[in-house]
Amino acid sequence: MSEDAKRRLPHLTEGDDCRYAKLEPERWREDFPIRWEEDHYVTRRELAKFLTLGSALLVGANAAMAVASHGRAERVYAPKRIAGESALRAGESLLFRYPTDDDPCILVRTKDGSLVAFSQVCTHLSCAVIYRAADDRLFCPCHNGLFECSAGHGGAQPLEGPPERPLPRIALTVKDGDVYATGVRA
Amino acid sequence: MTVDARKQALSIFTVVVFLIGVGVVLQLWLLSASLEGVLTGKGELAIAATAASAVLFAVNGGLLAYVLRIDRRVRALARNGP
Repeated sequence: MSEDAKRRLPHLTEGDDCRYAKLEPERWREDFPIRWEEDHYVTRRELAKFLTLGSALLVGANAAMAVASHGRAERVYAPKRIAGESALRAGESLLFRYPTDDDPCILVRTKDGSLVAFSQVCTHLSCAVIYRAADDRLFCPCHNGLFECSAGHGGAQPLEGPPERPLPRIALTVKDGDVYATGVRA
Repeated sequence: MTVDARKQALSIFTVVVFLIGVGVVLQLWLLSASLEGVLTGKGELAIAATAASAVLFAVNGGLLAYVLRIDRRVRALARNGP
């Protein structure tokens, strides 16, 4: 409150700004040209609202990702014959394409005799991995990436080198002596 | 009185905005961890991260509701006087 206002309105005390504003609105506006309703626009209240909205969006993004990851666990495609069941001996591999001609894959008869198939595209920089019978592993020659090659739950987990994600596994079914690819498990 | 109330409200706003900001940063971290989990085939990580993110959002929403209630009180005080 200005000294002039104190002289003219002696019954008001220091801090009675609201009553002063009601009694002399025009003078008060000269002293405080920005209205209380207007000045809040870029204040903490708006920031708090904005951050909370961002918080809600982040929950949504996280939920969408959880749903997407659930959906991509295993994708089923039309079955495709790869080879006869006895075509591969232990320690041998065969290249094929599944589910489209642009998706190179590798079928391996591991040393323990089980048949497994994985995408041949390295999860590092998309080079083609090859089967290395000496150590029963899948090897990426571009950057010396090494993947496990087992029929167990782990599948083609990265073991060495720059790859950090496992190779997608190709679901296999043996029917009437033939091996069929039936889907892709991320 | 009103000026004091506004000052107090401003301090509370500052603290609450800071807390909400910390919550949002944690949610961003959860989102990046979730993405990492999805890419490495650990989908269950995304579900846990979503649950944690929802809890943080609830906390943030509660803080916002609290601060808006204070704001309404201060505005009413400014309008009607002490």
